[in-house]
This record gives sequence, structure tokens and C-alpha cells, in this order.
Amino acid sequence: MKIAISYPPIINDHGQKAMVSQNRNVQFFKEPTYLLPVTYAQAATDLKQMGYEVYWDDGNAQLKSFDRWLKDLVSENPNVVVFESTTPVMNFYWQTVDKVKKALPKCIVIMTGYHSMRMPEETLQECAADIVLRSSNVDFGLHRLIPFIDDNKNWRTEYHGEGLFIRLDNGELRSTGDFRQVEPLDNVPLIDRDLVNWKDYAYENGNFLQTPGTYASSVIRDCMFGKCTFCRYNGPDLTFSMMSVERSLDEYERLINEHGVKEIFDDSGVWYRGKEARQFAQGIIDRGLHKKGCYFGINTRFEYLDEETIKLMGKANFRFILLGYEAADNVTLIKLNKGYQLQHVDSCLKWMTKYGMHPHLTIMVGYYWQTQKQLDNTVSEVKRLMFSGLARTLQVTLCTPLDYTPYHKECIKEGVLLTNNYDDFDMSKLIVKTPIPHDQYYKAVREMYSIAFHPKFIMRQLLFLLSFKKKDWQFLFTYSVRAIRRVRQHIFNLTRNENGTVKNRAAVEK
Amino acid sequence: MNTYPLENIEHLTKHTFKIRIKRPDIEIISGQCFNIGLPGLQINREYSIYSAANSNYLDFLIRAVEGGRVSSALQKIKPGDLIEVDGAYGDFCLKDPMNMNHEYLFIATGTGIAPFHSFVETWPNINYKLLHGVRYVDECYHANTYKKGSYIPCISKPADGSKGTRVTDYLSKETLPSNVQIYICGNRNMIIDSFDILHNKGISGDNIITEVFF
Repeated sequence: MKIAISYPPIINDHGQKAMVSQNRNVQFFKEPTYLLPVTYAQAATDLKQMGYEVYWDDGNAQLKSFDRWLKDLVSENPNVVVFESTTPVMNFYWQTVDKVKKALPKCIVIMTGYHSMRMPEETLQECAADIVLRSSNVDFGLHRLIPFIDDNKNWRTEYHGEGLFIRLDNGELRSTGDFRQVEPLDNVPLIDRDLVNWKDYAYENGNFLQTPGTYASSVIRDCMFGKCTFCRYNGPDLTFSMMSVERSLDEYERLINEHGVKEIFDDSGVWYRGKEARQFAQGIIDRGLHKKGCYFGINTRFEYLDEETIKLMGKANFRFILLGYEAADNVTLIKLNKGYQLQHVDSCLKWMTKYGMHPHLTIMVGYYWQTQKQLDNTVSEVKRLMFSGLARTLQVTLCTPLDYTPYHKECIKEGVLLTNNYDDFDMSKLIVKTPIPHDQYYKAVREMYSIAFHPKFIMRQLLFLLSFKKKDWQFLFTYSVRAIRRVRQHIFNLTRNENGTVKNRAAVEK
Repeated sequence: MNTYPLENIEHLTKHTFKIRIKRPDIEIISGQCFNIGLPGLQINREYSIYSAANSNYLDFLIRAVEGGRVSSALQKIKPGDLIEVDGAYGDFCLKDPMNMNHEYLFIATGTGIAPFHSFVETWPNINYKLLHGVRYVDECYHANTYKKGSYIPCISKPADGSKGTRVTDYLSKETLPSNVQIYICGNRNMIIDSFDILHNKGISGDNIITEVFF
């Protein structure tokens, strides 16, 4: 039996590509960051270890055109194709599924991803997919499902593993109930790097200061906080699982020693904290991996790591620390269920910069309640943090309701959504009613990205050079060139829809 | 800043304690949690509400974990000391608690009993059975507050040296109605094992809701 794990190339009218992979907000870029879809890579590895033939089919990272990708997939003639989808590309995926089913009628198409798992019936009505997997634990789901399909002709009626919507032969849909929310992560194999062509993802990544870089098998799935309303890792259908520290350390050791990796990022929603974080950092030091010239990066939250832990992480050569800042007003933080208080931001960032790390802030604008005052406050606080050197890089996005997260449902309930066309959910424009004109948010985006070119910011980066840390020199002379390119792309994307495109079209549709 | 003076601390075992603050004037749903920290500590941790959602105070049942900065510091505080409280968050809540026709099975280990204690304090008339896995008998916190016959302790290390039981042992033997609504809260391994047992008994995943304590 042959299973394809497929990511069709998605290219828009501007020649930009979209990347779809777990919990990633789809954005179109001319020169995209190619990100390894970690859970799917673990699923592919697991299926291969179970004896199945696996076709790792990332048309984006393999730089294929859509037609080339489809032709190659058809010639591979897999028995099963697994797709991952999310709101802004649902229309594209539904069309793609139908094309695949037309070319390969016997092939079983499994749709996964946060949108279809929360709206399984919609996907089965809109396209010819056979199954929707209602779980973020794709590896565990496929581990149970694929052998059953392989052994049972009547799998559509007889499979009782939880977490599926199945199209029956008579066209009716069958649910096998909610999936299990907690899985033993130590049971899923670590990623087979050769199987997933890891080098396809090792260089074109704006967050790597050194290459080749890679993503580790995530130590946490989905998120140990899991309450932020805008995030996919939220809801009664998701909890979290954690991998053991030793197992993760083993993988890091192999990545450094056998693959020569120079930067490793763990894209867990939130990485270890407390005891496990300290054990991991100490383990890196004990194994001598901190002296191998490899940087480590993680996602974390404000108020999760204390100074002692951060100090140990600095010693272990952690560098890139991604923190969800989101906004600089408590009203917004409370509405988003962010779970941190603004007065603790500075101390957390101070510890990180003190111990040589590069904090990266993610900020969003365009919440349906966001006033000019709240927006101005966010811009001014972000400037303060960047100019003072407390944060080194940032990413600003338009807060877009997606994948039926609590924020998405709230926008529907409040009647603030300006469009129902999923194509409009690609984060290139605001799609919610707001108290001030949309252009004010686009202006704020431009202003925050322009910090990178401000003399105060550049001067602060030069001052960092006085510490004579290699990573600070790299930051200025290598990373900044790449960052400028990416900032331009972000500004182009986020401001090309000024003058209210969606609003105008919504008016026409009425 | 959301700081509140501690009203009371009750040390229940060597490691476990209950803290009480005045209830903040916000909407709270039983089963939700708060982020709790201490001034100057600059970090927080999530704790589920232990008290009724509609009472005049908020209780939290906390175990001081080895190496845990927040829980160890909280264990040492005294009435009048300030604590930082941020919330309420979460969806580990009863879907339709006013409907008395529902039958509930609550499964907990250790301080994972907190949301269930809050459920039954908030809605004393719900029809429930509570399985509580603990190591020692002194960890059966406030066992007499539950309806007679509803609280089933599963003690893995009984004081008399007899063979211990775990919640999974009990579940394996128990016959369950297929429509029972099951809430599981506690450590990961217990949740994974319990889910497998329940699924093998024909309980649909639609009726199982879980929350990991970590």
C-alpha cells in the first residue's frame, strides 16, 4: 500500500506561494519560508516504519508547479492521499481533491487540518474526499486507520477508531465520534529526515540565522496553555501531550552530529517550562551540544520561564525565542485570553537579552474591537521594546478569524465578519468590521515593520556588537539582509488591500 | 494589576494545600482555571477553581511540585500576602448542568479533582460518580463534601499495606451506560489509559472530555 502525504503548490495571481502546515497562518509570499510540517513528517515516518510505501509530496518545498505536482502524484498512483488544509485555502483544496479523485478514482483521499476537522461535513459535501480526520494527532490517527483499510474491504462501515467522518458507499456520512485528545507522544517515531527531504526546508527560512537549520519533532502537542481565543490550539477538542526530555535531547544530538544542523527550532505551541525546560537545557550542556555551534529556538509565553531557567537556556546556546505579544492593552489581552500581564513583559525580555537570546515578538492588529487608542498604544510599546533592544525582531499580522477558533466563532456570533468567502481569509486584508477605518491598521503595520530601518533600531543593533557575541554579528550582517527582504514582502502583502477591498465587495454582494 | 490578598491557606498534606481569596467580580464558570503568580516572581501557572463558581470566594487546590517555582512559593504564603490572579479561562465545563437527566462520571488523579469539586459545589443536585486516584488516603481531599456513595477513592498505596487500586482498575470492571458523560482530569498517562478502556467499552469519544494537569 502506498500513502502520499501531499502539499499541492498554491500560487496566487501575484505569483506568490502559500505554505500550509500545522497551526501556521497561511500567507502568500514571493520568496516563502519552507516549513517542515512536523506532525505529518512524524506520520510519514511512522507509516514507513510500519512497512508502507510513503510518498513525501511537498510540491511547495520541491518547487513544483501545480500541473507538475499533479502529474507526478498521478504517476505515483498512491492508494491513499493525505492533505492538510486550513480556511483560506479550502476552496483550492476542494477543487484539488476533485482533480485527484478524477485522475485516481480508486485512491482514498483523507482530509486533515484544523478547518476540516472542525467542519467535517462541509468538506465531505464540497468535495469528493473519502475521510475527514478530526484530529491534530494525524500520526496517531493514521497509525490506527491505514492498517485497518489495508486489511478490511468494508472499512467504511466497520472502522470504529475514534475521530473520523467517513463517506459511505451510498454517499451517507458516518461519524466515529470525537478523537482522543491526549496521546503518548513518546510512542510516535522521531522524524526520518531523509524520508521528508529535510534539506528542502533547511535554507529558505527567515528565522534561521545559520543554515542548515531544521525543525525538531515537537516536544509539546498542542499547547499546555491552550486558551488563547485566536489560536487553533484551543477549544474543548484539544488538550496537550508532552514528549520526554531525554528523547528530545537524543534527536538534537543526532541532528547536530549526523546531519550537521546549525540551528534547531522547536515549533511546539509552547515549549517546555519549569522543571522540563531546565532539564532540557542542562541536558544540552551535559552532552556538550552547546559547544557545537548550533543555535536553538522555541516558542514560549510571557510569565512561563523564570530567570534561572532562561540563564540556563542562554548557557545552552538558545537564541531565537518567539513570544506572542499580540497587543499592548489589557482589554485586548483579556478578550484574547492571553493569560499574561503587561507589567511582566519587560522583565522577561530583559532576562532573555541579558543571557544572549534574541526575542522575537508576534503582534496582531485589527481585532474587531480595537480602537485607535489601543492601536497607537501597541505601536508605541512595540517601538519602545525594539528601540531599547529588549526585542530583536518582530512579526505583525492582521488578526484574521480562521479555522473556527473561538475568535472565529465570536466574530460570526457578533456579526462582524465582512465576508464568507474563504479565499478572503488569507491574512492579506482585514475581514472584520472595526471601530476605525481599516487603513489605520495597515498604517500601523507599516509603521511597526519600518522599525527595522529606523536609525535608533540600527544603532541599538550596533551596540549589541560590543558584546562580541558571534550571534550578534551574524544578526547584523547576515540576518538583517534577509529580514529587510522579508519586511518588504510583509509590507507589500499587508498593505496592498488598502481602501477596503472586502468591504466594497461585500457591499456589491448584498 | 490583578492582585488579591490571601484570605486563608489550609495545608492538607505535606505537599498539598488549599488557598482562598475573595472572588473577583467577573464571570466565572465552574471548571475554568486562573493563572496565579506572586508579586516579584514574574511567572505564573494555571490552577483550576476548587470552589463553587457562585460563592463569595475562590479556592484553589495546589500541590507543591518538586522544582516548581510557583507552587513552592505559594505553599509558603500567609494570610494577607498578595497573590496575582488572572482569568478565568478554559472550556472544561459541564455542557448542560441544569439538565438533571444527565449522568456524569468524573475521573481524577490527585489535585485533578479540583474542577469536579467545583462542579458539585456549584450544582449539588447533579447525578454523578467521582473516581479519585491517589497514592495515600490523606490525599482524599474533603471527601465528606460529596454526596453519599458518589465519591470512590482509588488508593494505590493503602495505609494497611493491602493491594492498592487505580482508577483504571475500577474502570475496567465497571459497567457503564453508553450515554454517560465522562470528564477526566489529571495526569496524562491516566487519561490515555482511561480513554482506551472507555473506548473499548463502547463509549463514544463524543462523551469523553479531558483536561491534562501538568
